[in-house]
Amino acid sequence: MTEKTTNGIGAPLPRESARRLAEGRGRYVDDITMPGLLHIAFVRAPFAHGRVLKIEKDDAFEVCGVVAVIEGKDLAEICVPYDTNPTGVPNHVSAPQPPLVVDESCFQGEAVVAVVATSRAAAEDGAELVFVDWDELPASCSIEEAQADSAVPAHTNFDDNLTLKHRFGAVDVSDAFANAAHVVESNFDFGRQTGVTLEPRGIIAHWDPRTEELEVWQSHQVPWQMREVYATQLGLSPQSVRVTAPDVGGAFGLKLHAYADELAVVAVSKLMGRPVKYIVDRLEAFTADAHAREARAICRMALDPQGHILGIDARVDAGFGAYAMHPRGSFGEAMQAAQMIGAPYKVGAFRAEVFGWRQNKPPSGAYRGVGQPIACAITEDMIDLAASAVGIDPVEMRRINYRSTLDEGARATEAGLVIEELSLDRCLAKLINAMDYDRLRAEQTALRGKGVYRGIGLASFVELTGVGAGLYGPLGLTVAANEACRLTLQPDGSLTCATSVTDQGQGTLSALAQLIAGEFDIAPDKVRMIAGDTGRTPYGGGAWASRGMALGGEAAKRASERMREGLFEVAAGILQCEPSDLSLANGAVVGPKGPSGLTLAEIAAICHYRPYDSPLGKVPQMTIEESFVPSDVPYIASNGVHAVHIEVDPDLGTVMLLDYWVVDDCGTVVNPLLVDEQLRGGIVQGIGAALYEECLYSEDGQFTNGTLADYVVPMACEMPDIHVGHVTTPTRSTGLGAKGVGEAGTVGAPGAVRTALNDALSPLGARVTQQPFTASRILEAVMAAEAANK
Amino acid sequence: MKMQDSRIIAAPRDSVFEAILKPEMLKICIPGAEEVTGSAAQGFEALVVQKVGPVKAKFRGTVKVEDVVPGTALRLVGEGKGGAAGFARGAATVTLADHPEGTELTYEVDAKIGGKLAQLGSRIIDGFARKMADQFFERFKKALEIETTFDGSTG
Amino acid sequence: MPEDTIRFTLNGREVTVSARSRGHLGDLLRYELGQTGTHIGCEHGVCGACNVMMNGRVVRSCLTLAVQIAGAEIETIEHARSDRSTVALQNAFVARNAFQCGYCTPGMIMTARELLAENAAPCREEIRDAISGNLCRCTGYQAIVEAISDAAVTLREHADD
Repeated sequence: MTEKTTNGIGAPLPRESARRLAEGRGRYVDDITMPGLLHIAFVRAPFAHGRVLKIEKDDAFEVCGVVAVIEGKDLAEICVPYDTNPTGVPNHVSAPQPPLVVDESCFQGEAVVAVVATSRAAAEDGAELVFVDWDELPASCSIEEAQADSAVPAHTNFDDNLTLKHRFGAVDVSDAFANAAHVVESNFDFGRQTGVTLEPRGIIAHWDPRTEELEVWQSHQVPWQMREVYATQLGLSPQSVRVTAPDVGGAFGLKLHAYADELAVVAVSKLMGRPVKYIVDRLEAFTADAHAREARAICRMALDPQGHILGIDARVDAGFGAYAMHPRGSFGEAMQAAQMIGAPYKVGAFRAEVFGWRQNKPPSGAYRGVGQPIACAITEDMIDLAASAVGIDPVEMRRINYRSTLDEGARATEAGLVIEELSLDRCLAKLINAMDYDRLRAEQTALRGKGVYRGIGLASFVELTGVGAGLYGPLGLTVAANEACRLTLQPDGSLTCATSVTDQGQGTLSALAQLIAGEFDIAPDKVRMIAGDTGRTPYGGGAWASRGMALGGEAAKRASERMREGLFEVAAGILQCEPSDLSLANGAVVGPKGPSGLTLAEIAAICHYRPYDSPLGKVPQMTIEESFVPSDVPYIASNGVHAVHIEVDPDLGTVMLLDYWVVDDCGTVVNPLLVDEQLRGGIVQGIGAALYEECLYSEDGQFTNGTLADYVVPMACEMPDIHVGHVTTPTRSTGLGAKGVGEAGTVGAPGAVRTALNDALSPLGARVTQQPFTASRILEAVMAAEAANK
Repeated sequence: MKMQDSRIIAAPRDSVFEAILKPEMLKICIPGAEEVTGSAAQGFEALVVQKVGPVKAKFRGTVKVEDVVPGTALRLVGEGKGGAAGFARGAATVTLADHPEGTELTYEVDAKIGGKLAQLGSRIIDGFARKMADQFFERFKKALEIETTFDGSTG
Repeated sequence: MPEDTIRFTLNGREVTVSARSRGHLGDLLRYELGQTGTHIGCEHGVCGACNVMMNGRVVRSCLTLAVQIAGAEIETIEHARSDRSTVALQNAFVARNAFQCGYCTPGMIMTARELLAENAAPCREEIRDAISGNLCRCTGYQAIVEAISDAAVTLREHADD
């Protein structure tokens, strides 16, 4: 018998409903099959930039099982290319991206031909026999190449590669710098990354000509968005399209996007009237999945003699792909990378320019943290440089500059951020205490004398979560900004919550069940969650930008409150008292005279079967739907501080992660067990960014490290234990008070490792600026410092 | 990727030089060659089937002969399109010198692989390329030495 | 396409199935035998999501040819209930929230089971080392280490049950 909680919120309940995943009873897209299912393998473009001269496909049909070989022109009749030109960002333009290349192909790995067969193996055999004759075209394969005056256009529709140009803050900040006591400056480099979800992307599409309906199962975060996308691309009514995301093996933003190859699968199904499955294999994933993070930056910071920040001036150049990622564009990460610089601080004057460049690489799109990891890394490294120039401790530097709220009378920060209230000073205080900062510094000094180089890195962050219509609407993006909950009281007294929120392992569904159960004081296993299926859930966003609990939780809370009100009206009639006299305990109504014995099941039975027994003469709704979108703020800002303690070997360039702490303020914490593990997982992904992960391209745009042996993600033996602490400042924009937390780990960790490394190397006069901080880059920095000191 | 190596071939320098330019010889020497047509003057066309790691490919390629110094040196420039597997390009500079045991053949290869093949990383590609270059010149050496033996005109 | 008839034991039952000589064990289990608990993450032996037990040892089912398993005893995550160690691990994984998306979990539990069979009281470093061949992108590994640690304690405490 499962125990119920007396109060849903705050209890560290394990996810019993997810136990089946540990028992191998998950149902991911590749686990789904159906009669007559066909399989696709793609022939993909080998060059960074090319033009198709001819396609020879006859040989492919010799393979037993191959039933069709489909080209771009075959699909063009039934499916339009992605048009990603958001009206709110007019200089972010993209060439149309067809599901299969028709003429010009713009990145290595772009899908060109779809071979359809009765098995994946047969499809792959067929694909090997398809011959595509190419005219190889010149390509732009680095930010430098893309931004050069003589740059080759990554897509021949354009004359150049500039596809984003924006300024945050003032036009000119030179005054702040002219009078500054200190000015510090640095450049920054961030390697291109890919999300590496352990379950690769996958899709099954079934256009049934009998019902003229399209049903899609997809490993995805936002099924409602995909319903709209497929309807638009295929010229269908959205009402004829149903999209379901079953169990999803990791997403991290990578599965937020609309991919050309997935659209091709859907279009093939429509063309053939057959169900078709495609699972991206790991080698394909590297060049077919969304990329992220590629950026170079330069930043200057002006300070007064005491170390107060007088101004920040920054420029970010982001390396996008050949097409803008559909449907949200590729600009989001670059914009946040620039706008969020300095966010935790009062900065005086602020200017940040951001430029985005098309390259002959896969499209780039949102990946966990979306630009904020970059902004945090730049900011915190600058803060440490500033602290050193001014001659104060890095902790003190942060303390004296932290922002806690908007300036008097201001509606936003100098960078244009709308923040409510930040608790960075409290987070920092708690962090310093937890890590015993003074002792670590003392040890560091002592060990330096023995030639052991320890580093302490701090990274403060502000994160924009629960992003709503206020952000997407003005950008012209048709992305649902709300989350919704449809709550039903079943005749047996159990509850069903159909939510627009989706869960790829975060545990949001369990947390919602816990929250709802708490509202009725029943066991969480009495609340059944339905999610991921546009046919069974209310319209809403899904999962991204850390919104599940912040927005979906608020919708669930409001639905629960409204349902409770209705139930209390019925109960009040039966018990002859006022609804305000009532409460719930153990799933039964407690009246003014104590427990009434009137259970949820009994009230439900009256409402469903015997409404005439209700003294009111009517019964309340048994299904309540609430939709929530934050109206007063475009997003909900959360904050926190990270710290990492490392040891660097200056002879080998290796880094040992000794210890890690984070103190995070995500407002109301519904389930600390889930929240803490989200932080830990996010931190380890951030460590991966800092130390290991980079998509390495050759000069001619070939992805050269495209296996899991070469693109390295963190493994257990090198990761530290992570100490998690919380400060709680509920947001005032919702009744629940929860802020997002899913990305907070990834936002801060790369910055913490960067500052720790530079702290460790500082006695050697060495500095690293290019992420990932591989052993060879660390050694180069050490050797450069040695040479300079001679 | 770049590599270089040399071989001593028990045959006179002129016959070695002549042999490199015969399509029949190339067909024997190129591992996996199914067809080689053309001539040194016009360029060769080749159909080669090979397996690189897990990726099997049928390459349609061209080989041009450049920078010919008769009897001494030449450059072979090749390009192969491998369909779904990717593409390969390479150039080999071959120089011949007299040697007490016959001829010393030195080659310097500069090769580039792209597409799905490239993704497998240099650990598979480099080893494979080295093996192919090795096999090519080993077969060449053997074919020449047998010819020479049969000819009776030993060095 | 060459095919063979293979007889082997799957989770305690005798099975006869035909398999192509080029297919791997992971696909055989998932598609021919409906055991979808074993997951494919990379098909080049790095991620560990496909781990199963073969004759009592953990193997990568993506690197094991189907035709190699003739006469072998194969155990997958679906065999859990009959194995004390696996049940203890699953309980601990749930209690510690040691899985999020669940994709790496079956393979991870296989590895953990083998570790505990060889080492009933592993320290944290030993656990981290043992699971280094299992990639997890969600948890950051710490909760997994806690769970395996807890399971080891549970198994030791109830060793005589």
